[in-house]
Amino acid sequence: MGEGPVISLRDVSKVYRQGSVDIHALRDLSMDVEPGEFTVICGPSGSGKTTMLNLIGALDSATSGHVVLEGRELGSLNRKELSELRRDRIGFVFQAYNLMPVLTAYENAEMVLWVQGVDGRTRRERVMGLLEQVGLKGMEDRRPSELSGGQQQRVAIARAIASNPAVVLADEPTANVDSETAETLLGLMEELNREQGVTFLFSTHDPQVMERARRVVRLVDGNVASDERR
Amino acid sequence: MKLLRMAWRNLWRNGRRTLVTVGAMTLALWAMVLYTSLMQGMLGSMESTLLDVELGEIQIHADGYRERPSIWERIEDPEALLEALDETGLRSSARLLGGALVASGEASTGALLKGLRPERDARVSDVHERLDRGEWLDPADGSGVVLGYRLARTLGVDVGDELVALSQATDGSMANDLFQVRGVLQSLSEDTDRGTVFLVEDAFRSFFALEDGAHQVIVRSGEGQELLAATGVVEEAAAASVSGVEVRTWRDLLPGIANVLDSAQAAVQVVAFIVYVVIAIMILNAMLMAVFERIREFGVLKAIGVSPRRVLALILTEGALQAALAIAVGLLASLPTLWFVVSRGIDVGQLGGTAIMGVSMDRIWTGAVSPVTIAGPVFILLFIVGLAVLFPAVKAARISPVEAIHHQ
Repeated sequence: MGEGPVISLRDVSKVYRQGSVDIHALRDLSMDVEPGEFTVICGPSGSGKTTMLNLIGALDSATSGHVVLEGRELGSLNRKELSELRRDRIGFVFQAYNLMPVLTAYENAEMVLWVQGVDGRTRRERVMGLLEQVGLKGMEDRRPSELSGGQQQRVAIARAIASNPAVVLADEPTANVDSETAETLLGLMEELNREQGVTFLFSTHDPQVMERARRVVRLVDGNVASDERR
Repeated sequence: MKLLRMAWRNLWRNGRRTLVTVGAMTLALWAMVLYTSLMQGMLGSMESTLLDVELGEIQIHADGYRERPSIWERIEDPEALLEALDETGLRSSARLLGGALVASGEASTGALLKGLRPERDARVSDVHERLDRGEWLDPADGSGVVLGYRLARTLGVDVGDELVALSQATDGSMANDLFQVRGVLQSLSEDTDRGTVFLVEDAFRSFFALEDGAHQVIVRSGEGQELLAATGVVEEAAAASVSGVEVRTWRDLLPGIANVLDSAQAAVQVVAFIVYVVIAIMILNAMLMAVFERIREFGVLKAIGVSPRRVLALILTEGALQAALAIAVGLLASLPTLWFVVSRGIDVGQLGGTAIMGVSMDRIWTGAVSPVTIAGPVFILLFIVGLAVLFPAVKAARISPVEAIHHQ
């Protein structure tokens, strides 16, 4: 994968101000993620996992340091460029699925492609393929309320990879499902990683996820305490 | 398309709230269309009474007559003036005006006698069509008079009764004569209702010993003709045919009423605006609730790359859809109501005859319909809904995705 890291964090700090108190969520954190990695960020609550994903996902900005995605320094991009970057290069999988309740499984998965302006026929082919891939064939017309938690998370995964992003950021993706469903979801993401080279970066407490990761980065007090590759 | 579909489905996530909001908009629109129609009808009727029955658009008097009305201050050669006006194609007629004491039995009161030629006067005034009872003047019936309805009540007379008129004739003699009531007018205006007696020109001249001249020439402007242009034509005709006269428009004669009529349409829109502001607060509340309930969703939309402009468009579309529903239902509901007020009208009973700025209101209050009746309330509704929806829409569009996603 000689083209360099897909994500590069250099001396990244994030300070939140709560009243008169400064909370250091990240402290001079540096780390790279290579294309095709299946990486888990773990650590105790408040260690900075979600903050780190928010910074990489261009949802928040660092107080200091550099966050670089595919060679683009996020701090130098304006709101519109950040929005387009999220749309085209980043996929999100949230703990609470966060699907649009008024849209069907198909429409939810299609959302990013629609925003990108992809034509209807291409969208249809891509989304139908994705839904089949995540095991939701025949459930295209169901709304989130008609799907189980695991099925909703599959839709979220389909939505996240629909635009062939550089990286999929998954914040506690198995926290709201039972262990059997978690196992299936992890298997699905592993398969996508292995067969399509999708880069996954998880934040999790779930030992099941950590077991299957090929790289585990442990954060403590906003910095990397250990970085284990398997 | 997807945006529209999403907006439509979002509306029915809380169907009851949407129905209440759309219902309020519909009711407001219906009420405002009805109100606009009735106001237009009332103003149109006032203007019609004022111009078609009482004043005409333009009047000509002898110089100084308006300041000090007197039987002696008259247009010397009204026939030449009328002839000149006929040549312009404008409709005109002369009237004679003189004060007198009218009495019947024990009752008496001051009144203004108006002498006219019925056939010619019908060209400029619809007063002959506004009889409450009896008949209009007949040139063959020199003693027949038509009274304002309050005057008839004051004197205690009705059709067929006699009344006596007393005044001073132009030759200095005592003018007195016995007249018979031919007809009683509907309520038209304070002045006409309380103190006007119409009689034929010959009877007037005989009563006041007035051989020639006229006190007032009423001119109607042509259909769709600008008042200013018509006034110019009348001034030219007057200058070419007679001397010592002044030409005045009805706006000069009654500037107060002219202003009221001019500003009335604006006043209608102001009332509509106030009603809609109440509705706007309701819409604002409903839309704010709808936005706050979905903050997390807007955060997710923004996280996956939906632009703030699209989020803004989504909320605006939701507002527009509700307004469109309200307009469709409101206008459908307005059709039978408009039909009723325009063709049948509302019987205002005792309020009939009540004077507004000196012009009486008809007993049957009818509405009017013009493009403004519908377009005015609809545009104001759209404007108000746009304003009410804009704030929550901008709020949703500007939301920080991180804060929104973690919003509880």
